[in-house]
Amino acid sequence: MSFSAEKEITKLWKNLHAAQDEIGKTYYRWREAALQLAGSDVKPLDVSLKTAEIMGMEIGKSLLPRLNWLKGEEVWLMNLAKNIAGNWINHGAIVDVENGENPFEVLIKWKRCPWPTFAKEYGVDMEEDVLCCDRILQTILKDVNEFFNTDYTIETLKAIPRGEGECLRRLSKNNK
Amino acid sequence: MAKLLFEWDYSSYPGAKTYPHLFKPIQLGQLTIPNRIKYAATEDNLNDHNGFVTDADVAYLRERAKGVVGGICTMQGVYMDEKRMGQGYVGQAAAWDDKYIPGLKRLADAIHEERAVAGCQLMHCGRVGAVEVEHCQGPSSVPQRLRIFRPVLEMSKADIKQCIKEHIEASERLLKAGFDVLEISGIVGYLLSNFVSSYTNRRTDEYGGDIRGRMRFVVELIQEVKKTCGDVPVGIRLCAEELLDDVKGNTHEESMITYEMAEEAGIDFMSVTAGWQESIVPVISRDVPMGSWIHLAKRAKEHIKIPVQMAYRLFTPDIPNKAIGDGELDFWEMCRPMIADPLMPKKVLEGREEDIRHCVACNVCLARLFRDAPMTCYINPVCAHESDPTFANPEKTQDQKIIMIIGGGPAGLECAYNAARRGHEVHVYEKGKELGGTILEASKAPYGDEELMTTINYQKAQCEKAGVVFHMETEVTEELIQDELPDSVILANGPVYSKGNGTGFDRDNVINVLDVLSGKAELGDKVVVWGNRKPGIGVALYLAKKGKKVTIVGKDKSAGFDVNPSFKWRYMIYLRQNGIMAYNDCDIESIEDNSVMVKTYDGYHFPVECDNVVVTEREANTNLKEIVQREGIELFVIGDALVPRNLSSAVHDGYRIGIRI
Repeated sequence: MSFSAEKEITKLWKNLHAAQDEIGKTYYRWREAALQLAGSDVKPLDVSLKTAEIMGMEIGKSLLPRLNWLKGEEVWLMNLAKNIAGNWINHGAIVDVENGENPFEVLIKWKRCPWPTFAKEYGVDMEEDVLCCDRILQTILKDVNEFFNTDYTIETLKAIPRGEGECLRRLSKNNK
Repeated sequence: MAKLLFEWDYSSYPGAKTYPHLFKPIQLGQLTIPNRIKYAATEDNLNDHNGFVTDADVAYLRERAKGVVGGICTMQGVYMDEKRMGQGYVGQAAAWDDKYIPGLKRLADAIHEERAVAGCQLMHCGRVGAVEVEHCQGPSSVPQRLRIFRPVLEMSKADIKQCIKEHIEASERLLKAGFDVLEISGIVGYLLSNFVSSYTNRRTDEYGGDIRGRMRFVVELIQEVKKTCGDVPVGIRLCAEELLDDVKGNTHEESMITYEMAEEAGIDFMSVTAGWQESIVPVISRDVPMGSWIHLAKRAKEHIKIPVQMAYRLFTPDIPNKAIGDGELDFWEMCRPMIADPLMPKKVLEGREEDIRHCVACNVCLARLFRDAPMTCYINPVCAHESDPTFANPEKTQDQKIIMIIGGGPAGLECAYNAARRGHEVHVYEKGKELGGTILEASKAPYGDEELMTTINYQKAQCEKAGVVFHMETEVTEELIQDELPDSVILANGPVYSKGNGTGFDRDNVINVLDVLSGKAELGDKVVVWGNRKPGIGVALYLAKKGKKVTIVGKDKSAGFDVNPSFKWRYMIYLRQNGIMAYNDCDIESIEDNSVMVKTYDGYHFPVECDNVVVTEREANTNLKEIVQREGIELFVIGDALVPRNLSSAVHDGYRIGIRI
């Protein structure tokens, strides 16, 4: 039986993209359902931020067994950043992680991300997309900081939904 | 006794001898039209967003009125309801209140000033309407196939009566404004067609059911509008073929019953159309051969006695002239041919066919309208700028220059004759034996691309008339520039082809797209085309038609990024039909003898077997730029040399520099 690497790989690749597409759409369908059931008194952003918090907690908890302090703080930090990036990569984003200018500082760059496109498709305000990502990241860090007794912060420097070409976030040790 | 608005004598014109049937009078109701030419109603999005007519629209229509040389010039369809559910285009003119009459009168007056017959269309856009509001109207709330349209609300009987009343009141206003001919639009998905079609009319009352029930609304409307209009002829546009078989639309027998019923209701002429916006069958794009739909007019004439009009790919005068002579058609309608060249029929009459800028049936005009943008034309830069004299009719230069244009493609030629007309001394240097640039090769692609050469032929004729000097088979070098020392240099020398970031791009099995399309290169059975824009699609289809197994690998997220959406969907179908796989958002990482390694945007790899790789990826051409700048000569870079794009960008670039240099 003949085997075509092209056919096998592209079939998997297309299935992956279809699944990633479904993830985004499913999120916004549930958002819409939640809003309809919640009624007009509830602000859509509040519902979305609550969802982001739940997502952040889940992701944060899943990271704890994967991070190892024994490898040193810098390796630990890079692993944390890569694990965060991995969540978005699974959804179809292209994300790079690199060291920042200062010690214990890492930059996470989202060069492409499907989430603003989904938001636009479902008529959701672009800023909501930025704020939700921020909330997910802050919630992840909250758990990680508590578990490892660290004080890391993450800040948004650029955002695709704001028309800035890429999302750029700085993950760094709080020196205050 | 039929009325004649303006006397026209065509007997001394060459076109009237070549195409005698086009320049014979005909009677529409009680009105005699001196010829068989009509600019058909076309939305242009040039009016203000509250429905008031603008200077831009008046100038646009005046130019088309000149073109019909005494025939009918029809303004766009007006919407007639204050709630704006019938409005299908943001810049559509309105006629739901007397306040619109002065603006409408300006249009009718402009047409009359050109001694043409002023037509206006009544157009409720039905299920493709409500561009400014949340819901549109229809006979039944059948969901939309295309996402750009609004959800449909089913009309009550009161809504139907109100709609008829609005048609009557709008007709009165149009008559007050001075229009000579009215036309009711019932095509492509607009309200009347929704009632007529078994696809969109699911009603169980007297306005639904069989074709006679579905036509009831149209018949009542015709009768009422006719009563209002008296001797003024009233026509209607109805589909002869809906091309909606896949969604259980009307049969063509049912469509002919609608024609007979419209005639019985008193309509004075019939405009024959085919297809809906929701049809999946191509109707008017370049891939449909000219004259393909004449059989529908012929069929209509077998069923009705009133004059039959038709547009739809009748782009050259010989086709309608023959059809009229053969008794298959009575009137030559045009939209896009007169968007591309408003004076097209006038040039036919005057025997100046070489001066016609032919439409290339790309449908960018429609794509723009559907996306709420003002009308534009792929190959006519002046379209929709008629009201701006500095752009449409630039003055002669006060500062005559010697201009060296490097490259005899569409950008260079467009620039050349426009600059020469303004008084400059223009020299075009072309390294090849023929003018046309990459269009010479691009026009070899299948599905109608040979029509792209009409643009080059037009430009060549204009250059010759404007006194442009050609230097053929002359490659411009640093020495030549230094010898000639022109006042200005225009780089229009086309793109350079990318060398690729991967390995193996220098292998012998890597071939340039131009060598493939010009027939210089021999290729194996399996071919990978690198680049998924129009050049890639064109050569892929060309090769597939020759029996090759073709795969496209391109960096853009979707194939045909540079093709307008109103044409792109056709290419997607043709790629599938020809078994061409397109890997988009991908690049070639390496090329071997019998395969390439493709890398996806998200980092995956897979091999594709092939004998040859055809390069279509292009980059800006910076050759000669530094030399010209070093000499201190004024420099302009246009067309693909600036940024590789398409024929339209080349023409528009060339025009803009030609009128300003």
